Amino acid sequence: MRRVFACLVVLNFLLPSFVLAQASNQVLIKNATVMTASRGTLENADILIENGKIARIGKNLRAGANARVIDATGKYVTPGIVDCHSHTMIDAVNEFSYSVTSMTRILDVLDPKDIAIYRALAGGVTSALLLHGSANAIGGQSVTVKFKYGRPVEEFIIPDAPPGIKFALGENPKRSNFQPLPGQTPRYPRTRMGVMEVIRDAFLRARDYKREWDDYRAGKTRVPPRVDLELEPLVEVLEGKRLVHAHGYRSDEHLNLMLLAEEFGFRVGTLQHALEAYKIAPEIAKHGAGVSIFVDNWSFKIEAYDSIPYNAAILWKNGVLVSINSDSDERMRRLNIEAAKVMKYGGVPEEEALKMITLNPAKQLGIDKRTGSIEVGKDADIVIWSGHPFSPYSRVETTMIEGEIYFDRQQDIAKRAELEKERQELEKLDINKPPASGGTQPRIPSEFRKDHHDDADGMPYLSDEDGGEEK
Amino acid sequence: MRKVNFLLCVLICFVLQSKAQTGVYAIRDAKVFTVSGATIERGTIVIRGGLIEAVGENVKVPADAVIIEGKGLTVYPGFFDTNSSFGLAARPSPSPTPSSPTLLIQQASAQQQVSSTSNYPVGLRPEIDIVEQLRAGDSQFETQRNNGFTTAVTVQREGIFNGQSAIINLAGETVSAMIVKSPFAQHITFRTLSGGVYPTSLLGTFSALRQMFLDAKRLQEWKKIYEANPRGIKRPESDRSLEALFPILEGKMPVIFNANTETEIIRALNLAKEFNIKAIIAGGQEAWKVADRLKAQNVPVLLSLNFPKRTAIASEEADPERLETLRFRVETLKCAGRLEKAGVRFAFQSGGIQNYAEIWTNLNRAIENGLSKEAAIKALTLGAAEILGVSDRLGSIETGKIANLVLVRGDLFAKDRVFTHTFVDGKLFEIKQREDRSNQTATSTNVNLTGVWNLTIEAMGQSLPATLNLNQQGNTLSGTLQTAVTGTTNIKEGKVTADGFSFLLDINFGGNQVEVTVTGKVTGNQMSGSIQSQQGTFSFSGTRTPQNQ
Amino acid sequence: MRKALLLTALFLFVLNVFAQSDGSQQNLLGKSGTFAITGATIVTVSGGIIENGVVIIENGKIAAVGQNVSIPSKAEVINARGLFVYPGMIDAATTLGLVEIPLGANGTVDVSEVGDNNANAKAIVGINPHSSHVNVARINGVTTVLSMPTGGLISGQAAVINLWGSTQAQMAVVPTFALVVNFPRVAAFGSDFGQQQMDFNEAIRRRDQQLENLKRIFKDAGNYARAKEAYIKDKTLPAPKTDVKLEALIPYVRAERPVIFTAERERDIRAAVKFIEEFKLKGIILGGQEAWRAADVLKNVPVIYTNIFRLPVREDDPYDYLFEAPSKMLQAGIRFAIATSDGGANVRDLPYQAGMAVAFGLPKEEALKAVTLYPAQILGIADRLGSIEVGKIANIVVTDGDILDPRTNIKYLFINGRLMPLTSRHTELYERFKDRR
Repeated sequence: MRRVFACLVVLNFLLPSFVLAQASNQVLIKNATVMTASRGTLENADILIENGKIARIGKNLRAGANARVIDATGKYVTPGIVDCHSHTMIDAVNEFSYSVTSMTRILDVLDPKDIAIYRALAGGVTSALLLHGSANAIGGQSVTVKFKYGRPVEEFIIPDAPPGIKFALGENPKRSNFQPLPGQTPRYPRTRMGVMEVIRDAFLRARDYKREWDDYRAGKTRVPPRVDLELEPLVEVLEGKRLVHAHGYRSDEHLNLMLLAEEFGFRVGTLQHALEAYKIAPEIAKHGAGVSIFVDNWSFKIEAYDSIPYNAAILWKNGVLVSINSDSDERMRRLNIEAAKVMKYGGVPEEEALKMITLNPAKQLGIDKRTGSIEVGKDADIVIWSGHPFSPYSRVETTMIEGEIYFDRQQDIAKRAELEKERQELEKLDINKPPASGGTQPRIPSEFRKDHHDDADGMPYLSDEDGGEEK
Repeated sequence: MRKVNFLLCVLICFVLQSKAQTGVYAIRDAKVFTVSGATIERGTIVIRGGLIEAVGENVKVPADAVIIEGKGLTVYPGFFDTNSSFGLAARPSPSPTPSSPTLLIQQASAQQQVSSTSNYPVGLRPEIDIVEQLRAGDSQFETQRNNGFTTAVTVQREGIFNGQSAIINLAGETVSAMIVKSPFAQHITFRTLSGGVYPTSLLGTFSALRQMFLDAKRLQEWKKIYEANPRGIKRPESDRSLEALFPILEGKMPVIFNANTETEIIRALNLAKEFNIKAIIAGGQEAWKVADRLKAQNVPVLLSLNFPKRTAIASEEADPERLETLRFRVETLKCAGRLEKAGVRFAFQSGGIQNYAEIWTNLNRAIENGLSKEAAIKALTLGAAEILGVSDRLGSIETGKIANLVLVRGDLFAKDRVFTHTFVDGKLFEIKQREDRSNQTATSTNVNLTGVWNLTIEAMGQSLPATLNLNQQGNTLSGTLQTAVTGTTNIKEGKVTADGFSFLLDINFGGNQVEVTVTGKVTGNQMSGSIQSQQGTFSFSGTRTPQNQ
Repeated sequence: MRKALLLTALFLFVLNVFAQSDGSQQNLLGKSGTFAITGATIVTVSGGIIENGVVIIENGKIAAVGQNVSIPSKAEVINARGLFVYPGMIDAATTLGLVEIPLGANGTVDVSEVGDNNANAKAIVGINPHSSHVNVARINGVTTVLSMPTGGLISGQAAVINLWGSTQAQMAVVPTFALVVNFPRVAAFGSDFGQQQMDFNEAIRRRDQQLENLKRIFKDAGNYARAKEAYIKDKTLPAPKTDVKLEALIPYVRAERPVIFTAERERDIRAAVKFIEEFKLKGIILGGQEAWRAADVLKNVPVIYTNIFRLPVREDDPYDYLFEAPSKMLQAGIRFAIATSDGGANVRDLPYQAGMAVAFGLPKEEALKAVTLYPAQILGIADRLGSIEVGKIANIVVTDGDILDPRTNIKYLFINGRLMPLTSRHTELYERFKDRR
């Protein structure tokens, strides 16, 4: 935990000064239909943004002379979408070697240049939980970010978001769909029994580890114990300081994990995917875990065969905090459509459906004080839609984070000609001309873009060089 | 592109005297670019015992000195190549194919056990010392000296911890004579290990590094406590790998991070900050993007002069290049100039450039793109010496410093400039110029390897057929290796050497990308050689298919 | 009180027995008869919108449509005031029924045969009529799909099926509709990372070789067809030796049935069209990311577009590159349908895919056509399906809103004129667990 604070201090130090400088600007969004995600929908409403925060919400608001005014007549405004399960903008998803890889940190492998970030912004996503993959019973430490594309990587990280860690149950951590190489011993565990034991063992070790440190701090031992990066985050889990985001499909597994957590005295943060959570909704409600799901993705593997699109509705009716996530660069761009579906499947009310991609995931991630709904005092993470966000006919016009525009459709379209011109000029330069003779072969073009997703299902591919020949 | 540059390089240099003499020399009437002080328009430098004995306008030429007429010449301190793998002994030649797979595996595992006292896998062994791999001899550094370079940082390139580097002068009859400073620095590359060994991903790489630094810190503390009073305390374990990190934690040894992109540099800076490491960035192609942070953390950059260039041929079948790649190539040329303006300390390195003389072409491009000549010279000399911590003995022309000098006729940055002499540790190397327009035949080999070679690789007691498609341009090899197991792989860094050829391959081994080194010899249409990998050394042999010759 | 408990127990028992079916069996065949849907807004697709209209369904067909239609006395009347009537949607690219669970359950996967030429492999033989995907897709308004084999060079023959029936024959609309060919190209398709590492020249060589191979197969098939024809006319000629694969190709080389070529990039689409012209085939392009760039050659070749739920391939592609392709195809005069290219599980997303194209320039009416009438035309079934017209098969969806909107509920569903229960594996699991406390 000390290290986390140290980290935060470092991050604060690194925040460039221009953020503070520009944020004093005012932005006024005028005459929109504002879906607040917490206090209903306001017609013909204005939102005044100051210093990157929502300063006022109301009618006929006035701003200073230098304010940027956006006329949103006929348009809809929602909070920025929060994706509670993403592998976007990371250079590595899984550390396959061990069954417990809690020492790994997504923070170490962030790639702020990932084009998927921009494309997600164009789908209205402003915040995301970036998770380690699911190849391990206990995976790496997660990071909660805002998609401040174009900014230095440190600025992406939400400084006061509680830390998290990935757990995984079922097919992936037991490597069901991955055969060991010839001559290689299969990795323990290979069964659901083993998965649970790996987790139990890790927490028992973490307890011992904590005791060792307590003894040292109490002066009972003279040599400081080893700082064990594998066990440190698990001690934080035991102390309730780190959220567990547990990948799993079958209800029995998630139930067993919750029982194990109760045995060790902590509460599971979110059950991820949890496509069978509807079978144990009362138990989940009692334990108090959040659930973060696909709305209607099913049947892509055995443990997803009992998935039903009514999952969200049943959980919601049981009082469980539900969010809808993407786990995919592609699905991430249409989470609004995914949320809309839950209105049909089980009759979730409109605002509750909107919450499932905004306020609820923000709550699950402990960032609801700053984002997730349109309320005075919160960060101005806002999406302006051409129409109702649940209509497939609507598209994102503008996405802003903390009052600053990170995506704007008109600007995007206007920039295309500029970029084409830049390309043509760059291609004319000698340095960019292909070799007259000799030379290497170009890359084989692709028809499909590899999605950043959890690659734990298949073979580990470690040679993903998406960056051209010299980067 | 390489070929073009190669063709442009029509001056082929030969060393006149293979046995250079250490003795007493006086360079008379030369322009002396001292770097540390004012430039002397017409001065004399006296060299004795490997050191600069005197330098100035009115220095007397000693009677015992061999006189070098310096008229029309400019003398610079010898230049630094701040990141290289110069002087590495050839890898152990492949032993004959073991008679049984068991032997082969034993041999492979013997290779794995380079350091039996390490608790860490190959690739995470910071104790590796480059000096143990160095070989002595002047002749191997001829190309560098002929381009004015007299000092280099040298290190091996494998693993996450590449190991400890040395600063060497680029001449010397013994390894110890070559060494200026050893060990100099630890080198780190952010990569993964192969064969399913942790770390298999970049995620694990950082955690593994972090854990090792933490463990080293603790071992240090433990040892201190134990030394103070061993009673009642378990004896700390001896761990060569962790102990090799002590000087880093104590701030006595810098860590050179191989990092080119903005993202990689930031990751290096973060790690350095976390453990209070004296960091140096090597490569640094996008360093200008993080200039503020580099300056704030006082981290210098060993800037690669191996500028990115488009190597891929044009093809209608291919996608256009990424805008980011097109920009990257252009921006890299401006990096040095931008670092200069931002006040970030930097030196230059050859960065594995194939044609060494291209360093000068590229330096000129950096100058065209905003780097001042003064800063360029400083980065090649005193600036580099300062970054490497040897400015008290190298990097400028001052009395008492090591006599590493380079003599140039003409403007250093002009195309027609000629390096005439170099001194390394006071040892004179005269460079005879010979114009040779038929350079392609004058290269070190008359062999032409172009063609399709049918090979048999002996691996794990099995014979694996392979097709090697080679294309030789000058001394550069390109082409592909194809096997049923690895598919088709492009060869990298292929070159024809005096005694054969070598190239690297990134092959897919059990889902992991593994870099292997291939070396071999050719006699007519017969080829034999070996493949060195972490899985062991495999021999191969074969013939060229006739229709190609 | 006791009675109530007993009733509850009985109800739960019945529910339980009912739920045992799990919906994985397509056990509910629907109710046949004569139906009159009244008071609805009828979106005919082909003939505009009829407010307060009536649709009569009889003998599995649409018997009458309009405002002033007399309702047969035997008709079961469905009061659809405030509701909308649409033709059932058609997904022109799926592997529905050929795969149940793609990962970890190979026993349920029947999409790709071994080998390059599988011209004789027929989807209609592999489709599982009792797949859970059937009900899941249809209760969201998708009533007809093209189900096709994939993989290899010539994947096999695709089938047009209605999402109703206990046997393959009952499902079949066109049992062997088209041949599916993965048109040879350099570009890597799928997530085959092995191929990405292939040498570029090698990829070109393989492409050329495959193209040669494909040409040879089509030439052989042409010759085979001619030899057979000759033999049939003149039995004195030697009988050609029967070849099961060439035999299968006869209707395709004779352009009696279409050949579907998968192709995404402009140059590959152009090459495929060249092939189609060379062999005088009835061609269809499947995929079609950059079809709008090749509009000049696509006058007679329609496109089944499957790229709404896909990321633009190149980093420098505009974010909406694949969203706005349908709009661009429309402007360029290309005939096209929008399809999911899904294995079955997400075929029900078809309307939203079409809907998203509207956000990027495609007119709403065209988006609806792109999942109803246009696929019917491309699949050669527009005489029977794709719009609400008298005489067409009564595949009809009654909704409470815009069928392309995810918030819309399906209220009634007819396939082959049968009123289908709106149940699936999902509704049944829902019923079983929704009230668990």
